[in-house]
Amino acid sequence: MNAPFFKYGLFGDEISLVVAFAIGIGFGFFLERAGFGRARLLAAQFYFRDLRVLKVMFTAIITAMVGLFFLSRLGLVDLSLVYLTPTFVLPQAIGGLILGVGFVVGGYCPGTSCVSAATGRIDGMVYLAGMIGGLLGFAEIYPRIEHLVKATPMGQVTLAQQFNLPYGLLVFAVVLMAVGAFIAAEWAERKIGGKVPDTDSLLAPARPLAPVRRFAIVLVSLGLVAAFAGNPFRGAFARVDTKQLALDAGTKSDHVSVTQLADWIIEGRSDFVLVDVREPAEFASYHIPGARNVPLAELTPDFVARNERIVVCSEGGIHAAQAWFLLRSLGFPAVYLLFGGLEEWKDTVLYPAAPPASAPARDHIEFAKRAAVAKYFGGAPQTGGAPMPASTPALPRLTPPVPAAAPAGVPGAKPKKKKEGC
Amino acid sequence: MIEYTTTRHNPGVDPILHLWGWEIPLYLFLGGLVAGLMILSGYHILRSRWDRDQAQGHYVTAPLLSLALLSAGMLTLFLDLEHKLQVWRLYLTFRPASPMSWGSWILLFVYPALVASALLTLAASLPRLRQRLPVLARVSESLAGHNGAVHLIGFANVVLGAMLGIYTGVLLSALGARPLWNSALLGPLFLFSGLSTGAATLHLLSHLTPRAGEGSPGFSDALASVMVNWLRPPSAQDGSRKLEQADNSFLTIELALLALFFGGLMTSTLAHQTGARLLLTGPWAAPFWVFVVGSGILLPLLLQFLQAQRRIQSTWVPALLVLGGGLALRFILVGAGQASHWSVALP
Repeated sequence: MNAPFFKYGLFGDEISLVVAFAIGIGFGFFLERAGFGRARLLAAQFYFRDLRVLKVMFTAIITAMVGLFFLSRLGLVDLSLVYLTPTFVLPQAIGGLILGVGFVVGGYCPGTSCVSAATGRIDGMVYLAGMIGGLLGFAEIYPRIEHLVKATPMGQVTLAQQFNLPYGLLVFAVVLMAVGAFIAAEWAERKIGGKVPDTDSLLAPARPLAPVRRFAIVLVSLGLVAAFAGNPFRGAFARVDTKQLALDAGTKSDHVSVTQLADWIIEGRSDFVLVDVREPAEFASYHIPGARNVPLAELTPDFVARNERIVVCSEGGIHAAQAWFLLRSLGFPAVYLLFGGLEEWKDTVLYPAAPPASAPARDHIEFAKRAAVAKYFGGAPQTGGAPMPASTPALPRLTPPVPAAAPAGVPGAKPKKKKEGC
Repeated sequence: MIEYTTTRHNPGVDPILHLWGWEIPLYLFLGGLVAGLMILSGYHILRSRWDRDQAQGHYVTAPLLSLALLSAGMLTLFLDLEHKLQVWRLYLTFRPASPMSWGSWILLFVYPALVASALLTLAASLPRLRQRLPVLARVSESLAGHNGAVHLIGFANVVLGAMLGIYTGVLLSALGARPLWNSALLGPLFLFSGLSTGAATLHLLSHLTPRAGEGSPGFSDALASVMVNWLRPPSAQDGSRKLEQADNSFLTIELALLALFFGGLMTSTLAHQTGARLLLTGPWAAPFWVFVVGSGILLPLLLQFLQAQRRIQSTWVPALLVLGGGLALRFILVGAGQASHWSVALP
C-alpha cells in the first residue's frame, strides 16, 4: 500500500479523524515539551537571544528531507505521489509577511498558539480566537480577493525542478545550509543575545565528539551520499506487475458505484478526478457534472498529478475498463471504474424507478433519497409505478451548470478548497 | 420507554432501536460514578481507623455527593419511563431473571447505605448541620462509636457499589436483541469505568480546594457547609497521589476489558463482528477512539504517569478527561448498540 493512505482508501473518514487526533496530540505534546507554548521563548529568536525554534524547525526539515530521499531511493516511498502545495509567488509572499508580523506581535505561530491555549495561557487563547476570526473574515472576503490568491501561479514545483539540479545535490545543499544556520545561530546567541552556551553545544563542546557534533557529521555525510545517489523519482514507466493488475481487476475494490459518485459530488468532495474517456462530441451532449473529458488517446503519463484518485467513466464500461488498464500501466496507483458507466448513471441516478407499493418500507425510504439526488442532477424520478416511457427521457440540458441550480440545504454544494497549514 | 417485545414487531425496534435518547446513557454514567464513589469511600471506611482518620481526605463528601448524583440519575431514569405513574409497581415484585427488577431493588438498598455512610461522616462533612440538629449528631456519634456498625456500613457500601456498577452494564448486556451488547464483559467494563470516574471525581474535588488560608467560609446554609469541607486544605498530597495511582490501575483494567470485549465480539458471529466494527471502524469510530480511548484513557494514563514521576505539574486535567471519557463510553455504547443488528444485511 502506497502513501498517501487516506486518499487511496487504506482507511475511511472515521479513522482519518482518529489518525488526525493521534498526530495532533503527538505534535502538540512535543511542541509543548520543547517549550514552544511560551511566547517569550518564541519571541526571543527575533532578538537572537534564543534561536531554539530555528534549530528545531531546521532539524525537522532536514531530517524529513534526508529520510524521504533515502526511503524513496530504497523504493519504500514514491516521491511522485507526495502532495506538493502549488506555488503562487505574490500571494504567498504577502501571506508570509502577514504571518511574520503576527508572529512578532503575538509571539506565536498558528501551531504553537494552539499548544499555548491548551496549556491554559490566556494570551494563547486570545491569539487562537483571533486566528479563528481571521479565518472567518478570509472566507467571507475570499470571492473578492480570489484573483489575488490565484495570482502568479507556478504550479507544483520543487527547487530541484526549478533550477534543474539533481535532487540529491539539493538535499546536500540544504543540509549544509542547516548546519551553517546552526553554527550562525549559536554564534548570534552568544554575541548578540549574550547567552552562555550549553555544555555540549556545537561550537564549544565539553567533549570533542559531543552528540550534536556527531549528529551534524552524520547528516552532512548522508547529504554527501545523497548528492551522488541519483534520482529518487521512479520513472513514469515503472515495471507493470501484470499479476498484481490481474488480481486488482479480479476484486471489485476498484469499482465506484454511480450512487456513491453522486453522493461524492453532492458532498462537494474534491479528492478525486472524474475522467470521461468518450469523444468530445458525446461529452458535449451530456456529461456528469465536474467530469473532465480526456479521450483514450490523450491519456498521457502526466495528464493529471500521479497522486490523484482517478475515476474513469465511459458510455457502458468497456472503454473505461480499457482506460483503467492503460492508466495502471502508466503507473497511476489509484484508478477506479465507474461501474456501469453513463448508462447506469442515467438509470439509477437521473431516472430512478420507484419500487412497487408492496416493497418494504426501507426501499421506499431509499427511493425518496434517490429521488432527491435525481432532482439535484436535473433528472426526474419515475414515480407512481407508472410504466417506463417508451422512449428514453431527454437528458437534462447542460446549461446552466448543475451546481448553480443546487437546491438550498444541500450541504457542501460548493467545491471545497484544499487546506494546508503550518 | 415504549413497550416492545423481543420478537420485534415494532417500528421502534427495526431496523434501528430508537428507544433510548440522552437519559439512559447519562443515568448509566451517573450510576457508574456513584458505584465507584461508594466502593472507594466504603473501602476507606473499612481501612481507616475511624476515630482518628475520619476527617481525612475528600472521602467524607463522597456519600453526600453520591446521594445528589444518584438522585439526578434516578430522575433521568424516571424521565425515560413511558408510564411514569406506574413506577411503584416495580416494587411490588422481584423477578430474579430481570435486570430491571434487580436494578430497582439495588437502588432501593443503595440509598440507606449512602445515608448511613453520610451520617457516619456528618461531623466532618456538615459541621453546621450537626450543630443545628443535635439528633443527627447523636446518631452519627453512636454509629461511629460502634466498630461493628462502622464495618457494616463500609462493607455494605463496597458490596452495593459493586452490584450497582455491574448492574449498569448487565442492563445492556441482558438485552439479547442487540449483538453489540451481547457480551458479559459489559458489567465489569462499566464497573471499572465507574471506579475510574469515581476516583477522578475525588481527585477533582481535591484540586478544586484552594490552599490553606486563601478564604474562609462565608455561607451559613447546609450546602455551603459542604463547601466548608472543600475549603480545608487537603490532608496531604499523599491522598491525591494514591488516587492517581488507583485511577491509573482502574484505567488500565478498563483498557484491558475493552480489548477483551472487542476480542470476544470479533471472534463471534458475523452479527457480533459487524456490531463491533461500528465502534472500531464504522460511524462511531472517531468519537470512540478519540474520546473514549484517546482522551478518556490513554491521555490521562500518560499525564498521571508523568505527574507521578513529578515530570509535570499535577492538575485536574486528567480527572476531567477521565470523566469525559466515562460519559462518552456510555453514550457511544448505547448509541452504537441500538444501531447494531442481527440482520447484518441492513445498514
